[in-house]
Amino acid sequence: MIDSKIIVELENVVGKKYVSDQPEIQFLYHYDFVTAEPEGICDISIMPNSAEEVQEIVKLANKHKIPVVPWVSGINFGSIATPRKGGIVVDLRRLNRVLEVNEDDMYAVIEGGTTWADLQGYLEKNHPGLRAGITWSPPGTGIVPSCLCYGMFDLGMLGGSGAEFINGLEVVLGSGDLVKVGSCSLSNYWYGRQPLPDLAGLFIGWEGSTGIVTKAAIKLWPKMPFREDFAALGLTIDKGVPVMLKLSKAGLGICDLVIVNFGWGSSVQELNEKNIAKDAKEANMPDFVGLITTQAYTEKQHEAQCEAIKEICKEGNLRVLSAQEGAEVITPPPMQLWGCWNFSRGGGGQWVGTYCSTRDIVKFYNLAREICLKHEKIPQFYSRILFGGHYVVARTNINFNKNNPEEIKTTRALLKEIHEEVQQLGGVVMYKPPKWAVQTYKNRTLPATTELIEKIKKLLDPNNIMNPGQGIGDD
Amino acid sequence: MVGVIKIFQRLRYMKRMGLTHVDTRHEIHKIERHQDLEHYKDIIYQCGKCGTCRTVYQDADWAAVCPSGEFRKFESYYLGGKNLLTWGLTSGKLKWTEHLASIFYSCTVCMACLQQCQIPEIHTYAVEWLMAMREEAVKQGYGPMPEQKLYTEHTMVENNPYMEKHGDRLNWLPSHIKQTPDAKTAYYVGCTSSYREQNVAVATAEILNSLQVDFRIHPNESCCGSPVYMTGQTEKAKKIAEENVKMFKDAGIEKIITSCAGCYRTWKDTYPNKFGLNHGIEVKHLPEFLLDKLKNGELNFSKEFNMKITYHDPCHIGRHMGIYKPPRQVLEKIPGLELLEMKRNRHNAWCCGSGGGVRSAFKDLSAFAANERIEEAKETTAEAIVSCCPFCLNQFKANIKNNEIQALDLSEIVKQII
Repeated sequence: MIDSKIIVELENVVGKKYVSDQPEIQFLYHYDFVTAEPEGICDISIMPNSAEEVQEIVKLANKHKIPVVPWVSGINFGSIATPRKGGIVVDLRRLNRVLEVNEDDMYAVIEGGTTWADLQGYLEKNHPGLRAGITWSPPGTGIVPSCLCYGMFDLGMLGGSGAEFINGLEVVLGSGDLVKVGSCSLSNYWYGRQPLPDLAGLFIGWEGSTGIVTKAAIKLWPKMPFREDFAALGLTIDKGVPVMLKLSKAGLGICDLVIVNFGWGSSVQELNEKNIAKDAKEANMPDFVGLITTQAYTEKQHEAQCEAIKEICKEGNLRVLSAQEGAEVITPPPMQLWGCWNFSRGGGGQWVGTYCSTRDIVKFYNLAREICLKHEKIPQFYSRILFGGHYVVARTNINFNKNNPEEIKTTRALLKEIHEEVQQLGGVVMYKPPKWAVQTYKNRTLPATTELIEKIKKLLDPNNIMNPGQGIGDD
Repeated sequence: MVGVIKIFQRLRYMKRMGLTHVDTRHEIHKIERHQDLEHYKDIIYQCGKCGTCRTVYQDADWAAVCPSGEFRKFESYYLGGKNLLTWGLTSGKLKWTEHLASIFYSCTVCMACLQQCQIPEIHTYAVEWLMAMREEAVKQGYGPMPEQKLYTEHTMVENNPYMEKHGDRLNWLPSHIKQTPDAKTAYYVGCTSSYREQNVAVATAEILNSLQVDFRIHPNESCCGSPVYMTGQTEKAKKIAEENVKMFKDAGIEKIITSCAGCYRTWKDTYPNKFGLNHGIEVKHLPEFLLDKLKNGELNFSKEFNMKITYHDPCHIGRHMGIYKPPRQVLEKIPGLELLEMKRNRHNAWCCGSGGGVRSAFKDLSAFAANERIEEAKETTAEAIVSCCPFCLNQFKANIKNNEIQALDLSEIVKQII
């Protein structure tokens, strides 16, 4: 419970309409509503409309030593935006404007609460020749949080993780001070993170525990005239992965490479009547599905690329389907994909996600599969090859009935078991981890690294009010 | 391998509609329409509050669709929020309060949000629990809103929600309108056209006369009950419905033509499907009726109507009943008329902001919605925003400033050119 005088102070900053401490409003901020992570508690929600208002809110929070949680859509499979220690949830949805698109340098300057739907709509209307890299998360989710959490986009083969799509940031620090990082700190252009020390890293991977990003520049890419989506099918994951890795290093205009298993595929709706994941062996089906997207500037170039992709798949004994034959499902997002697979299984979904070496994809899959089957859960595997094949994301999704406390408990145990096992692989590091997972980094880094992280956190957020109970800097 | 290829080929990706084939789950989950909260409680919590319901899905530049959410901003006012508040209530995490009820009543029940959600059951059935929550609010004593209670009390006595006298209902009827006393077809005028948009009533009756349709207007015609039903007052609405059905059956009416989208939806869908009143009376909305006449050659537009117009899809015939084409097909046949589409049209149309009891209870929200639509209409460069619902028409007229654009009903145009 927060003193009503503080609420009045907050109302003075943003207007009465945009502050609430009513239970029917707070309820939506208590939960992630997807994951098996425990519920949190939101005391006040507030919707600022400018960076200055965000500064005022953070300064007030510092004055009263109240937690502040930055929030856009509040769903991320790690419950990272769920307020763990009460306080003020700063809902950034009014900060959803696309401020500038620079067609020459190909970037968009967006506000911190901009969603994929906001940006996509803006580009379709005003800059149809450009496109953003987009996640497979729903259209109502936030771009900036996705970038800050190393999200992965459908242009990941070109640009890497979401963090690498960031050209610059404007951030309200935990102290309430406003900073700019990247070229925008020295000029009006947001073309890159040069030339000063790259301070974007003070906010990437910190899960909102060092500041609130009010503006970000995101890389855009030219929309090519020719595009084709292929689905490559193979009997087992270990047979398909080498082919996909070969494709990743072959150029061929490939902008996206995704690997899913039959369990994941069958949980996406329309694959079976009830949308319930099935194991390939049980269903007597091939387990490997590779999704390949290629694009080109000329028709001739496009034909040659498509031909080479088919040839490489054929050499690896993969059967290739074109978009017309059914692979159009990976037509450019944003799309409401996971919203479909959570249905019929109880509405809950969470993953153990990792960044890993391309060498570890198959190992990750086998480990996670074994544990899932032991717990009578169907393994649902998903991997995206990034940045021309330099590294990958691998993850295992678990579905559960979020109305069943016992199943939630079992799911938590299963997630922890997978996490502990896959961390033993040499090159595996966490991806969008919840609190219980993120803290395990301390067992693996050099003590001086941990100390440095803690010093930085203290410097940027002296009163430890930023998203406490979440992220890397607070235990 | 062949099996998985077949599965892949079964995937139905629909351009601009996403991956989901939205109507394939009815039998599997055995969900029924028009049930109470208990029936839906095991599917409501499937919603993950992902926000897909907030914007047009893969079309119309991903524009916003929810008047309530866009006005109030907090998630609780969007469909995802209301889904999860319903879950909170049915799972005991939340209790009824006045504020909770007001969130559910701050919704025009326009169903634009449902169209965007790709989860089949939410896409198809969410309106059922939105309505069930209103019903429950009434049972718990938190609904309807005070203004809605007032108009309901009046309706139960004077048969209209406009605080007018029942005896004045036919005051709009000019002496030149020819009725056939024993006609089997009735023109069901509705309250808005009877008391507020009388031009629509006159135009419709004149059109019917021009087409030499034998019809009559029931001298005791009353409110269809839509404003009562839409605010969760099911028992009272059912009573109205039973009286209406008896009155029309006793009069030997076999067919109703109505110029009101709300009356149409209520007679055609709510009476039989919610109240179990299988009245057997054929119900036609005016554009459907006109289209039939155009197709069989009984109607020809002999004059030109030189105007650029844009068509606003009323929620009660559009998303509620699936009627998008007939009004457009009629408009397209009119010589000289240029039809310009707004960015959000058909199943993605932005609501005018009057339905669901919102106009009476939440005037600021209602005006916000209307102004948003008027601005969108102006962007098309149209000279008039045309609809075929007197409630939409009345709403636009009330909110258009400085004659920046005209508001017309389809009947008013047709009357001028036949």
